[in-house]
Amino acid sequence: MAEKITAYRFDRLDQTLNQLNSEDCAIMAGGTDVMVLHKSRRGVPPKIPKPVVFIDHLPELKQVYRNHKDLHIGACCTYGELLEHPLIPIALKNAIQTIAAPAIRNRGTLGGNICNASPAGDTLPLLYIYNAKLQLHSVSGIRTVAISDFIQGPRRVNRLQNELVTEIILPAVLDDESHVIFEKVGNRNADAIAKVSFAGLIRVSKGHIDDIRFAFGAVGPTMVRSSQLESLLLGKTLPLTQTDITQVVTAFDKIINPIDDHRSTAFYRKKVALNLLHYFLSLKHDQPNQ
Amino acid sequence: MIKFKLNGKIVETDAPATARLLDILRDELDLIGTKEGCGEGECGACSVFVNNLLQNSCLIPIGSIAGADVQTIEGILETDQFKILDECYSIAGGVQCGYCIPGMIMASAALLTKNPHPSEEDIRDGISGNLCRCTGYNMIVEAIHLAARKGDGIWQRK
Repeated sequence: MAEKITAYRFDRLDQTLNQLNSEDCAIMAGGTDVMVLHKSRRGVPPKIPKPVVFIDHLPELKQVYRNHKDLHIGACCTYGELLEHPLIPIALKNAIQTIAAPAIRNRGTLGGNICNASPAGDTLPLLYIYNAKLQLHSVSGIRTVAISDFIQGPRRVNRLQNELVTEIILPAVLDDESHVIFEKVGNRNADAIAKVSFAGLIRVSKGHIDDIRFAFGAVGPTMVRSSQLESLLLGKTLPLTQTDITQVVTAFDKIINPIDDHRSTAFYRKKVALNLLHYFLSLKHDQPNQ
Repeated sequence: MIKFKLNGKIVETDAPATARLLDILRDELDLIGTKEGCGEGECGACSVFVNNLLQNSCLIPIGSIAGADVQTIEGILETDQFKILDECYSIAGGVQCGYCIPGMIMASAALLTKNPHPSEEDIRDGISGNLCRCTGYNMIVEAIHLAARKGDGIWQRK
């Protein structure tokens, strides 16, 4: 006899928010993490301990639009939908194209990747360097929070029981001429969970670094980014000198604390992360993203 | 009761909303062409189309596909696209034990429908979510190249 499972799938966002306000529920977007996390044996439905609320069909969570230079992305847009959307910057598309594989890209959502808050979440280093903000809806209204304040640790996010992440906002990303790189190191190019991931962004104006940001995934409980170290490089000319590069790489060596696990070792992760940073800082960044 | 379209016909199930589409297909509806490999979305053996998009049926809770249009390998057997793929996989030697093949065929069809003239890189990305432990992939890549050439004109979606 199958166990009874309560599940809701409302037509509208307001009904969904009412439900979240009245009961502690598990939220299901694409399901690519939740279904694996609660997997049972073959033939037995995943054991999810709370009532389930499906959200990935809600039209309010599927929109992509611009507001001045900010890009708003509905939390339930799949990677596949973002790859097809004309407003998504090419650098972000290039990065998404390297994530997972076609079948997962057709189900996995940006909001789901954020709320799953894996230390190795594929899109997270990118969202950190884009200074992404999240819009949360509840029956009491809307609030906006920076992604670095939202993600608090492995699978721990700053979301109240009655709140739903509805939009990801990338501030001033449209018309921006920054150069962005994204690297993911794993056992396999497709699908595998990252051993180390890296995203870097740089904008050069009249030969000088106008803006530079970089973030690492899978080398700590959350993404690692340091505005303080980034600011050391502002105003410098490219290519950077070995002294400048070494100074930043050495400083980063002290702030990343990867662990040993079944996917990789702390030693390997640190070595690769620092190599990626060295590589990023050594690039001339004279080719636009295409 | 959850209703969806499966291979052109409306089906219903009273399984819980979190039940995996894969289990419903195999255990309830007896469509055993769709295989279970890893059960975690990493091997592609359970690939199906949902609203014409390739997806892993082991990760789909049926509650999220109410009203959707699902196609399995059984649902495409009579199409020209399947016949070309069937022929080309045979010619290229792309099938050995066969366990991954229903998923590979679905991934191949999804790729060619979207991109009827894929480069080798496109093909390798198109099947990147599908594991095959026999062929080493080269014969499968060759089969898809061949299907693109031989089936020129049939892949565009109407």
